[in-house]
Amino acid sequence: MELENGARIGVDIGGTFTDLVLSDGRGRTWFDKRASTPAKPEIAVLDGIAGLLQKAGLRPGDLLEVLHGTTVGSNTLLQKSGACTGLITTRGFRDVLEIGRVRTPDMFDLQWDKPVPLVPRRLRRVVSERIAADGGIVRPLDEGELRIVGRELAAAGVESIAICFINSFRNPAHERRAEAVLRECLPGLAITASVSVLAEMREYERTSTAVVNAYVQPVLQSYLRRLGEGLLALGVTAPLLVSDSNGGLAAARTAQEKPVFFISSGRSAGVVGAARLGQAAGEDNLVVFDMGGTTASASLVQNGEISRASEYEFRDGMSAPARFIKAGGYMMRVPTVDVAEVGSGGGSIAWIDDGGLLHVGPVSAGADPGPACYGQGGDRPTVSDANVVLGYLPDRLAGGELHLDVDKARLVIDRDLAQPLGLSVEDAAYGVREVANANMARAFRAVSIERGIDPRDFTLAAFGGSGPAHACDLASSLDITRVMLPMMPGVFTALGMLTGDVERHFVTAMPGRLDDLDMGELTGAVASLRALAEAALRDENFAAEQMRFAFSLELCFDGQNSELPVLLPDPVSGASHSWLRQQFHAAYEAMYQYVADDVVEVVNLRLLARGVRPGKLDFQSLTVTDTGGDQRESDDRRVYFGRDLGWRQTPILDRRKFAGDASGPLILESADSTVVVPPGGRLTGDGLGNLLIDLTGEIG
Amino acid sequence: MALEIDPITFAVIKNGLDTIVDDMAYTVMRTARSPIVRDVLDYSATICDAQGRILAQAKTVALHLGAVPDAMSVVMDEYGDDLVPGDVIILNDPYAGGMHLPDIFMFKPIFHDGALRGFSVVIAHHCDVGGRVPGSNASDSTEIYQEGLRIPPLKLYAAGIPDRSLLALIKKNVRLPDMVIGDLQAQLATCNVGERAFVNLFRKYGIDALGQYFDALLDYGELLTRQAIRAWPNGRYQFTDYIDDDGFAPGPIPIVCVIEVQDDHLMVDFDGSSPQVKGAINCTLSYTKSSTYLGIRCALGRDVPNNAGVYRCITITAPEGSILNPRLPAPVAARALTGYRVVDAVLGAMAGIVPDLVMAAGEGGNTVVCFGGYEAGSQTPFILVDMINGAWGGRAGKDGIEGVTNPSQNMSNMPVETLEARYPIRIEEYGLREDSCGPGEHRGGLGLVRQYRLLADEAVLQLRADRAVNPPYGLFGGGPAAPSRNILNPDGRAEELPSKLTRTLHAGDVIRHEQAGGGGYGDPLRRDPDRVAADVANEKISRDFAERKFGVILSPDGFQPDLAASEACRKRRRDAVE
Repeated sequence: MELENGARIGVDIGGTFTDLVLSDGRGRTWFDKRASTPAKPEIAVLDGIAGLLQKAGLRPGDLLEVLHGTTVGSNTLLQKSGACTGLITTRGFRDVLEIGRVRTPDMFDLQWDKPVPLVPRRLRRVVSERIAADGGIVRPLDEGELRIVGRELAAAGVESIAICFINSFRNPAHERRAEAVLRECLPGLAITASVSVLAEMREYERTSTAVVNAYVQPVLQSYLRRLGEGLLALGVTAPLLVSDSNGGLAAARTAQEKPVFFISSGRSAGVVGAARLGQAAGEDNLVVFDMGGTTASASLVQNGEISRASEYEFRDGMSAPARFIKAGGYMMRVPTVDVAEVGSGGGSIAWIDDGGLLHVGPVSAGADPGPACYGQGGDRPTVSDANVVLGYLPDRLAGGELHLDVDKARLVIDRDLAQPLGLSVEDAAYGVREVANANMARAFRAVSIERGIDPRDFTLAAFGGSGPAHACDLASSLDITRVMLPMMPGVFTALGMLTGDVERHFVTAMPGRLDDLDMGELTGAVASLRALAEAALRDENFAAEQMRFAFSLELCFDGQNSELPVLLPDPVSGASHSWLRQQFHAAYEAMYQYVADDVVEVVNLRLLARGVRPGKLDFQSLTVTDTGGDQRESDDRRVYFGRDLGWRQTPILDRRKFAGDASGPLILESADSTVVVPPGGRLTGDGLGNLLIDLTGEIG
Repeated sequence: MALEIDPITFAVIKNGLDTIVDDMAYTVMRTARSPIVRDVLDYSATICDAQGRILAQAKTVALHLGAVPDAMSVVMDEYGDDLVPGDVIILNDPYAGGMHLPDIFMFKPIFHDGALRGFSVVIAHHCDVGGRVPGSNASDSTEIYQEGLRIPPLKLYAAGIPDRSLLALIKKNVRLPDMVIGDLQAQLATCNVGERAFVNLFRKYGIDALGQYFDALLDYGELLTRQAIRAWPNGRYQFTDYIDDDGFAPGPIPIVCVIEVQDDHLMVDFDGSSPQVKGAINCTLSYTKSSTYLGIRCALGRDVPNNAGVYRCITITAPEGSILNPRLPAPVAARALTGYRVVDAVLGAMAGIVPDLVMAAGEGGNTVVCFGGYEAGSQTPFILVDMINGAWGGRAGKDGIEGVTNPSQNMSNMPVETLEARYPIRIEEYGLREDSCGPGEHRGGLGLVRQYRLLADEAVLQLRADRAVNPPYGLFGGGPAAPSRNILNPDGRAEELPSKLTRTLHAGDVIRHEQAGGGGYGDPLRRDPDRVAADVANEKISRDFAERKFGVILSPDGFQPDLAASEACRKRRRDAVE
């Protein structure tokens, strides 16, 4: 097979830009960054693909794979533009979706608005049926009533229906039957049975996950269909793979069936890419930092393993898997890369409160009107304005297309911040950076210290449009002394797609005490999940030797509400009750620093099935062939590094010209981002195209 | 702000202190043993300066907000000049700085460069501190001596050496000694985390500079608070709310709140409130203060920090011997209910001052439902403690919220499937209670219904609700919500039960709790008819309720308001009133 050496393209749609990276499989790479086309996102994707193929001199038929991360799912939730959705539940439980988990994200805030449920009460209907906690049938499903309810929902204009019955995770018979009945009497409607997306205990989490799936499905289906047709029209016959919230890839068909797994498609691909990059560069412990225009996010790679979570909430465009706040967002219990997000980006607005305290964000100037220095009507000081005033950013951006207005940036910072605070313009601007960095440091603490991990032992890997300009200061504030900046940081997420494997997730509930666990039953459950997974991966053209299976048993102490996974040995017969208990105790102690001798309970058996993609990008031999824009002449300018260090005459280099070692202060510019090395930082290249900055040195 | 204060350093130090208390909060969550601390998050973490003034407090339990200053002053009185590095002090006595016995306060003085610089403070709700009822939290005790072990301010560690006598005494007097000692260790680990980070702050900024910034930080909290209060109209604002009863004597039990706005200061007094009562719903002055701060805090901006500067602007008094400042030996274990009603009364009085920032009364606090018994045909005991939350009242410009925690804490609910898997109980209904909202231009949230069927042979039910006689109030013409109800066997020989009860149930018995909704805000005859119609379409209210309470007549299909008929109906109502 020629798979190892073929061309692949990674595409990531963001709020402002659509990023594309083309790798020809022989180490040559091209990239493109173009404005997103939110009304029809596929337009930017297709135009970008055609353009890159042309640049690289390749034919559409040369492409082996198209790898895609999309915000279509998250935008559908954000803009409430999903399908008109109905929900059918057990009688007595019509309002599970709306009640949720009843917590609020903040205290002392009587003006809070609880997010409106995706299905209004009039489209939430009940039927007679009841499964007991042990799976027994208390009341049979009333199919006649179900047909009536289904037809009434269809008559009310519903395009998609979710079904979630109490205890269906224990016995799915009623839900499966209801699904079949509705498919038969309502052809053309999308139907989601909750056990198809999440066969786990806890009715709210399962209902909400099923409803998000039903709500997003018609939109994502139609987008992926249009994209697929567009690719064919271009002559691209390569399979389209979509990145899921866990950073894995799956055939577009899977994304159409279970869209709830693909809501944070894309965002997670950058973390997967960073982990893969760390592997190539010998960096096993990374704090991954991605800073764009409106948000910054942090995640963790420990001993080469990406930190993941089993559920998260989508709320106000921000999402967080934090254990503190299960508070009325759109809950999805699906595997996800554990990312903490804060509203600090280049466009975040700086302001002073009534008590004279400086704040940055969470309001952002976004792409329109953008920061004041963009000269597009923005009139409030942002982080980017501060960076321009301080000399960090050049007077033109994004490959030279956008000129930055330094005077306008000075004016708004002076007027809105420096004068009210009685500071010089540069001190006010530097303050904006410090406060923004402090906000971002909190996101880092959420994924590290909250989980008992000391970030000082980690390397900070930074990407995103604004990441490399803030990485060193942020690292210093966390006592991190090593910073890694990949090649092409501005389009790194698209690059990350090229490094992923195909992943499928399977789960089955096995509630009961660990002591009562029947090992024969466990072996049987493992075998049946494995059969499902093998069929699914065969379907995506993987041979047996490319398949990898990781089974874990999720355990908790009696009475707890959150469980921890224990990875099962292969074959499973290697696990005993005492071995499982021991493994659980060890995992628990690592997480919570103590261990109890309480009764241990089994919750779920989970399978992560992976199809190892041949020819995925490994960062070992990567060169950027074309970065666009003119080569920049070496130059220097004054840059402000805070009160102690003041203004420093700082060399400005084109990143493409940089080789060998250098000391800060130094700024490297490229079409997709700006790297700031502070005084005292030691900069080296690692031979793989990454920049490493050592911050242990004395500030000179 | 003093001239030598640099605004950027100020912002960074404020952030640094917030980060310290966040890290402390995470440490408790990671290291605590008992579910109530770990999962319900019933704890709080604070950093104080050397004078015992709160510098920063983690956002965990809202109602611990005001308890630290009183406890801190008891500790300072007792040990102010008798503290050395390695000391750790604990207390839980409601009559000496505590709130109720399960809440054990821990203080660790922080020393740096040879002098006292501050305190780490951690409060945790312990799962048991002895007494006549498991959990030490019963509402039917009649004196504090029944409620468990009382700990005056004592050194658990003196100069780093644990007090074995005190530890042994605690272990002997609680039902789950391992868990209690484990949670005390978690508190200590958390104090140590705070201590380390606080000392680092001194190393970085120096003793003198940091002292100035701490002063500035408290001044900043005070400044924001005084600015807010100065914008409020001077005057005296009174509101009375009621608790139905204490489970022993008939009620109602009045809570009278008078708030006086004096330029940039608030005087809050509870004179006229009920004398202390027999049941354990008496509320110590420190908890009365906490509840009062909470009510007022909700009307301040979200960015106002949690520090001592805020408390300088508010003076709170309650008559001695009253339910809000009881004398020994009044029982206090279930004082949470009274705290909820203090918040309601404070918000009611605040409605006269800042009508746009308050809400009409919510459900009145969580309903607590306990089942205790043995699994069918076995000797395996079970105890279920279930809490039902809740609804918010209508607000200026928007409706109340339904299916939401009381703002006094930030509690979650127990999943139906988790409950059924663990206890011999089947939940037959968990949903919104139609027509339970208080009508208003902005209606209250709907209350919740939760219905339990006992599957075990026999169990003892303890149920603590309120608002069955005195429903949640409306504001500015908004109506009260539907009162709460407890019903035994609603589908058979239905029997109405009182709001607080203890009773033996048998297999197949069904208990239904219908929680009160939230009160309405503003004249219901001014509610947008389209919104009334939407509520009818969603079956949140009935057609009949729409007509009776809102004067809105709907089209025959029920989805559109008949505007002409509605206007006529509303006019008739208004004329009738005049």
